[in-house]
Amino acid sequence: MQSNTLFAVAAQFNEPNKLIKAVKIIADLGYKKWDVNTPYPVHGMDAAMKLKSSKLGYVTLFFGLSGTALALLLMWWTMSVDYPMIIGGKPFFALPAFIPVTFELTVLLATLATVIGMLSVFFNLPNNSHPLHDTNYMQRVSADHFGIYVEADDKKFNAEELRTLFLSLDAVQVDDIYVPLKEKYPILQPKFLVFLTIVFAVTSAITYFTLNYLLYMEPFDWMVSQAKVTPQEKVETFRDGFGMRQPVKGTVARGFLPYKFMGMPAPAESLVNPIIPTKETVELGKRKFLTFCSPCHGNFADGDSRLRGQFQNPPTLHSTRVREMNDGMIYHIITNGQNAMPSYAPQITREERWSIVNYIRVLQRAKNAEVTDVQKVKKEPVKNGQ
Amino acid sequence: MNIDYAKELPVIEGNPNLIDIDNVIVKPIEEKANRKFFLALAVSGTALLIGVVCVAVTLFYGIGVWGNNQPVGWGFGIVNFVFWVGIGHAGTLISAILFLLRQKWRTGIARFAEAMTIFAVICAALFPVLHTGRPWLAGYLFPYPNQHGLWVNFTSPLIWDVFAVSTYFTVSLVFWYVGLIPDFAILRDRTEQKLKKTIYSILSLGWRHSHRQWQHYEKAYMLLAGFATPLVLSVHTIVSFDFAVSIIPGWHTTIFPPYFVAGAIFSGFAMVVTVLIFVRRVFHLEHIITLNHLEKMNKVIIATGLMVGYAYGMEFFTAWYSGVPAETFVFVNRAMGPYAWAYWIMISCNVLIPQLFWFKKIRRSILPMFIIVILVNVGMWFERFVIVVTSLSRDFLPSSWGYFKPTIFDLGILLGSFGLFFTLVIIFTKFLPVVSISEIKAVVEGSQPVHHQPTDGGTHAI
Amino acid sequence: MVNNTLVGYNKKELPGKIQVIGIILLLAGLALGVIGFLTDYVRALHNYLVMFMFLISIGVGSLFLITLEYIAGADWSVPFRRIIEFLASVIPVLFILVVPLIINMHDLFHWTHLEAVEHDEILKGKAPYLNSTFFIIRAFVFIAIWFLFYLLITRNSLKQDKNFDQGLTKRNIKLSAIFIPIFAISLTFSAIDWMMSLEPHWFSTIYGVYFFSGTVIAALAAATLVTVLLMENGYLPSIISYDHLYSFGALMFVFVNFWAYIAFSQYMLIWYADLPEETSWFVHRWTGGWEYLSIFLILVQFVVPYALLLSQPAKMDPRRLKIAAIWLLFAHFVDLYWLIIPSLSPKGYTFSWTDFVFPLMLTGLMILLFVFNFKRNNILAVGDPKLERGLNFHL
Repeated sequence: MQSNTLFAVAAQFNEPNKLIKAVKIIADLGYKKWDVNTPYPVHGMDAAMKLKSSKLGYVTLFFGLSGTALALLLMWWTMSVDYPMIIGGKPFFALPAFIPVTFELTVLLATLATVIGMLSVFFNLPNNSHPLHDTNYMQRVSADHFGIYVEADDKKFNAEELRTLFLSLDAVQVDDIYVPLKEKYPILQPKFLVFLTIVFAVTSAITYFTLNYLLYMEPFDWMVSQAKVTPQEKVETFRDGFGMRQPVKGTVARGFLPYKFMGMPAPAESLVNPIIPTKETVELGKRKFLTFCSPCHGNFADGDSRLRGQFQNPPTLHSTRVREMNDGMIYHIITNGQNAMPSYAPQITREERWSIVNYIRVLQRAKNAEVTDVQKVKKEPVKNGQ
Repeated sequence: MNIDYAKELPVIEGNPNLIDIDNVIVKPIEEKANRKFFLALAVSGTALLIGVVCVAVTLFYGIGVWGNNQPVGWGFGIVNFVFWVGIGHAGTLISAILFLLRQKWRTGIARFAEAMTIFAVICAALFPVLHTGRPWLAGYLFPYPNQHGLWVNFTSPLIWDVFAVSTYFTVSLVFWYVGLIPDFAILRDRTEQKLKKTIYSILSLGWRHSHRQWQHYEKAYMLLAGFATPLVLSVHTIVSFDFAVSIIPGWHTTIFPPYFVAGAIFSGFAMVVTVLIFVRRVFHLEHIITLNHLEKMNKVIIATGLMVGYAYGMEFFTAWYSGVPAETFVFVNRAMGPYAWAYWIMISCNVLIPQLFWFKKIRRSILPMFIIVILVNVGMWFERFVIVVTSLSRDFLPSSWGYFKPTIFDLGILLGSFGLFFTLVIIFTKFLPVVSISEIKAVVEGSQPVHHQPTDGGTHAI
Repeated sequence: MVNNTLVGYNKKELPGKIQVIGIILLLAGLALGVIGFLTDYVRALHNYLVMFMFLISIGVGSLFLITLEYIAGADWSVPFRRIIEFLASVIPVLFILVVPLIINMHDLFHWTHLEAVEHDEILKGKAPYLNSTFFIIRAFVFIAIWFLFYLLITRNSLKQDKNFDQGLTKRNIKLSAIFIPIFAISLTFSAIDWMMSLEPHWFSTIYGVYFFSGTVIAALAAATLVTVLLMENGYLPSIISYDHLYSFGALMFVFVNFWAYIAFSQYMLIWYADLPEETSWFVHRWTGGWEYLSIFLILVQFVVPYALLLSQPAKMDPRRLKIAAIWLLFAHFVDLYWLIIPSLSPKGYTFSWTDFVFPLMLTGLMILLFVFNFKRNNILAVGDPKLERGLNFHL
């Protein structure tokens, strides 16, 4: 099925040397739209055809570098910005460990870009409707002949001249190649519509089956059904029916020290402060006091709550009663709670509670300073500005 | 046999003309398959079927049916993975590295080796994916924004593996396909049947053998080869990192990357030779895949075998030299412990037996060559077995030592992977040209213009 | 002297001034070296070791390239084989150069201090290998082996210039096949002995391969440099084309990548596993100023040459190749310096003028050896059966 429009005049040679000779002449004559078809790449043809060297390398370079940059960016963002996690003691941006993936992505992007770029942009493929296809010329150059053709579109094209030229150069055969008729592919064709319907039906069926059945089947159910006891579940295994087991009676939690005066109005005299008031422990006490005590008792334990009457204000801790309490008693109140104040034992550790006691002593001392204290300070100036 | 060093050995014997090359290579594709084909397919298909059954059992019951457990958590799954990835390396080596080195003898075997690469990587990829237990969730291995807000761990060598193997597979496939395009065009122009013509037209993308295409095509082929070469090194390097970044004695040693690469090439070449011995016989390609080709491959086998031997030696020496007791123990344990049998199979098959290739006679005769390359494959499988199993079975804590035994399902899946590999190979020989037609044509004597011949052929008569 | 007109080769003599430059450089280096030994003895000794290793790289590396040509059946490199043979002629000189190192061993190697070894369990364990007697035996045996193969292979090659006997090629192929495994082992253990044992507690299985990669780079760079210089000044037949140079460029490029690959593998694995017995070596190279040299090494030995040689035209351009070759020789020197000197001052970088002395001596020595060989022999292996194929080589 070909039209009467001439596409090109094509000649076949049976030897690469003859072809090279013809190519040099055609190139020298100044033709623009012509090409050579050989069953394999013939060396020295680039020079004979006066082709510029391939620019494909730039595509590769560009996409290769993009791959490098993308890989590093992805790993930097995921591993050190979006979800930073210390893994194996390595830094968030662990460059040596990122090199392998960076390399792979560089290669992947570079090669895919090279091939896709070459085939689709440089060659304009796929193209199965080129006039050369399905011609005797194509079949011969595909096998064992060496062909050259000049397109009719070329400004200098003269079919008769070219034929004589090729024959004079010892061409085995010279053909005229015509542009094929355009084939039409109407969409509203019963065959095509049936095909479309079948594709639609099959796709829908598979999707429905996958989403509604397959994903709930063993073993594809994402381990939803497993032979295990979930929290709060009733089980037959144990007489009490609890899935979660209680600790054995008398189990002691790690780091747990029993406080034997819990619930009593006051501890025994034997409860003494084990923490020596040093700078560190007092500061610890201050921190904890400010965190846990100051909301109600006030920053300086004056009983000036910040809670704006949500609870009743506690009394000041600078009263004589409190000042005369021993450390054990204050500790006991923090640990046990008193009146409206709950127990702080779960929030504050034992050492911290004793440190708070020390800090309260510091506050009390500061609020009730005597003249002799000032003299003492003058006599021995405090170092470091404290 | 006296060689005239002044002349280059012809790549193709008998100087056939171009049409003969087309005919002989295309013959198995155009002719109806014969009894031999179906017989071979039946054998490999049976093996594949056994593998499929074992995989199905594994999927249903979980990987508890495999032999790996504490302390050997990496059993056959990883051994087979490394083995098959290694087999794959020869293909890219032949097609890319030998291309860059301008070794013309690669043309006869490149296509086949590349196909084997792809099939071997398919076999390899099966194992880690099955080893995950729920292969249908393999998508989690890739970094994509998900509802958990989590990313994959890019500092993990197992993730490097995912990237390396998938990149390797993609690039090998692309490389292979690019090489096939001109051959599809040849097939398209030869065939008369409409269906075949349509298929080949689609696959050839409308290739026209035009030199304006060839020019870029050759450039692209070189660029691809330039990328595939470091890629092939990186893949087995990353596989070696799976072991070497850990602190398990016998795994953590700096020579692992080049050692694994050499081993991969070694086993890959052995596999290529194994298959080519049959292919050249069955398809009458003795003049295209000549004895010279096989001899050169055997030389590569002995060279890489020596490299592997060097690595064994260095590991052993350094284990002693390091003065680290755990390290020294592992190597003594390999040679004399419960897995000594595996170790000595490895040493004899990989280091001792290939030494026979020093003899030219053995390098050039089919039967001894065949036996040796089979043994090399066995040896290389055992190398991975020794590395994976002996190091894990006895590490730092003697109270948790153990002895790994594969189950029937392990063996079944291994057999199945061979079945899959050979089934794919057999199908490949039927439907695609096993030798690159256009490349072979380019190296036939007289195929290139005269100015590339020596200025004066016969002047060396002093 | 055969003038083979068939390949268009006529021997041209080198100008005398090159020999003079060689002598001046050698004497200057020697004199400064002696002063260095007198003023800063231990440092000068280590710098001398750097030079010694560099000469092993060039000499043994060249011998490796020769054998590689034979065993691979390469033809493009045949016209340059003689140049590489000349470069390998440094091997016999190693016999003399090794003597000062052996005499002063005690100041180089910690493990020679018997009293220190006695209190060190690990060194005691290594004593069967790391002891002075065995060390000296190994040093001489390795040099003797290299010398033997150098002698046999080059003698055959030179004989072929006169009798054109193809049997000699065959004999050299056989020698090469035997040499390469021996080369691998001897080079590895030389690297372990001379450099790795400077820090005797440290170990790395890849060390030999690492040194090998640098060795090949140095040998290739030296061969490329000499080839381009001779070509530019018309000492080689005009038929030698850019396609030949391309092979040099491509090989250098490949080995630069190979070096980076090996160096990265070694670093990454030790960095990742983070075991105290291994990291010490890198810690020494990452403290007190050495970290700048470490980063500089990556630039100098990988990034710059990679960029220089990446494009295809660059691999054929004689000017670019000349720069790349000089650069890579410098890079290999930096590499060896980085391997050796931090062991001497692990706490941090210290400056010494003796660092710059021995390269002078080395250059002078190589020039003189080259001139010496050039005068006596053909620069082209005129009798090699593959020569014509090699000259007509095209990509």
